[in-house]
Amino acid sequence: MKKVLVVDDDTDILELVKLALTMNGLEVSVLSRWERIDDTIREFMPGLILLDISLGTADGREICRKLKAAEATKDIPVILFSANIEFQKGIDQYQAEGFIAKPFELRKLVETVRASAR
Amino acid sequence: MTAFNNISIRNKLVLMQVFTSALVLGIFATFYIITEIQNYKNRKAKDVQSIAAVVAQNSASSLQFQDNQAAQATLAELHAVSPDVVYSAILDQDHHVFASVGRAGSDTALFREYRNSVGAFFSAGTLIVVRTISNNTDKIGSIYLQVRLNELARMRSYLFRLAMVLSGIAVLAAFLISFVLQTYISSRLLALVRTMRRVGDTGDYTLTLADEGTDEISVLISVFNSLLLQIRENERRKDEFIGVASHELKTPLTNVKGYLEILRSMEERNPQRQLVDRAFLNAGKLEKLIEDLLDVTKIQTGQMQLNLTEFDFDELVSETIASAQMLSKDRPIVFEAKAARQVRADRQRIEQVLANLLSNAVKYSTDGKPIVVTAVATGGDIIVEVADQGEGVPAGEENAIFGRFYRAKGVSQHISGFGLGLYICRDIIQRHRGRIWVRNREDGASFLFQLPIAGPDFKQQHSSTKSSM
Repeated sequence: MKKVLVVDDDTDILELVKLALTMNGLEVSVLSRWERIDDTIREFMPGLILLDISLGTADGREICRKLKAAEATKDIPVILFSANIEFQKGIDQYQAEGFIAKPFELRKLVETVRASAR
Repeated sequence: MTAFNNISIRNKLVLMQVFTSALVLGIFATFYIITEIQNYKNRKAKDVQSIAAVVAQNSASSLQFQDNQAAQATLAELHAVSPDVVYSAILDQDHHVFASVGRAGSDTALFREYRNSVGAFFSAGTLIVVRTISNNTDKIGSIYLQVRLNELARMRSYLFRLAMVLSGIAVLAAFLISFVLQTYISSRLLALVRTMRRVGDTGDYTLTLADEGTDEISVLISVFNSLLLQIRENERRKDEFIGVASHELKTPLTNVKGYLEILRSMEERNPQRQLVDRAFLNAGKLEKLIEDLLDVTKIQTGQMQLNLTEFDFDELVSETIASAQMLSKDRPIVFEAKAARQVRADRQRIEQVLANLLSNAVKYSTDGKPIVVTAVATGGDIIVEVADQGEGVPAGEENAIFGRFYRAKGVSQHISGFGLGLYICRDIIQRHRGRIWVRNREDGASFLFQLPIAGPDFKQQHSSTKSSM
């Protein structure tokens, strides 16, 4: 079963995405506090990370850059998502595998996650 | 006053300075001329009075002894010495002429007027001096002298010409000096105006003007600079607001849409399924409205930017038609002519324009009548036409419909929206250096847009329309 880690500071979104992905046969772990991302990755070993950009105290894009720079996490695909579609421009430089704009259609979200998860 | 208003400030200042110096010079020259003439008159009166005193003394005995010939000789002598005396007379106690000598130009009317007076009088270029002749203490008669002031006219015209020439030189000098000064002043004002205009045209609020002085123009410039600073600060706050608003509005909407989508996938029964569908449709409308508002804010704050990529144009049109068709199954949308071209543009934004035009066409079309879409490549452009079979655009409003918050007059209430769609479409197309317009046909309206195939950065800027509003 493919494993997906979802990081967002909005717990409603976390619940929603978890529900949708679980219903589509994926194993999901959610994280509302990005500070614990390294530990969670070590324990859960996700095949894909769905990462919000506006995390309140941090920028998801910077977290993505760090993950891609670390030997242990560089091969995990990361999909960034945000309500601000302006973030889509220049997303390449953060080496993320994809970008999804909020509000998203769950059907498309599931398709994208399925296609990218290892 | 309007004519004066239309003169440039520089010319006004020059005019003011020249007028002021001319006025001052005029007053000064008049005063000078009057004083000079007065001095001359006083001097002349004094001279003639002393002559009269001498004559009075010499003729006293002649008068006392009634020696008419001696008196006449005295007067003749006087005329020989002073050629400007035109008439002289010795009068007895009863003011009868005792002896007199006249020359051409003498004025008998003046004589009649002043013969009984005593003193010095001026009348039209003539000086009249009347003096009492006395024998020790008794008044025995009087001497009357009438002098032509030939010099006065000469002096007047000389002084007048001198004043004119000097005034002319002074006014010319004033003009030259003020011209140079005002050129300096107005060049600073014009520099300010140029910068203001550039800020207005480009919306670039980082343009400031350097000026080191402390005069009023410098104050104006520094006020302008601080205004720009304030605008920049406001822009920054607005930018921040857009970011926060997109996040805050869209996050709950994401949840609403998501949970409805899950609910829909779980619910097969009617009418539950229909109700969920309806809620989902409305969440979509809400999303569109929020996007429109954010887009307008972006346009207004100059944050709307294109994300240019190369893509197959027909594919984009087909996809957009497919999703528009899903929302209205009773109005067929036909993709008739294809462009068969790769286009360099912002795919998402062009899709937004097409979706908007299609949604309008659906809204305003009559049920069952097809909406026809064509895309034709001509020259370096693609021209897209979305033709509906509705009532058409009211005459005279072909331009206004692309304005902000436009609502068609007489359109029924059920057509919703802010009236921002076409405004955003126009901005997007103009940003691509393209053109969007509407044409009424007999059986409906056609919305057309023209897009440079090679992208906005390739085509030279020749569009006369401005993208910022």
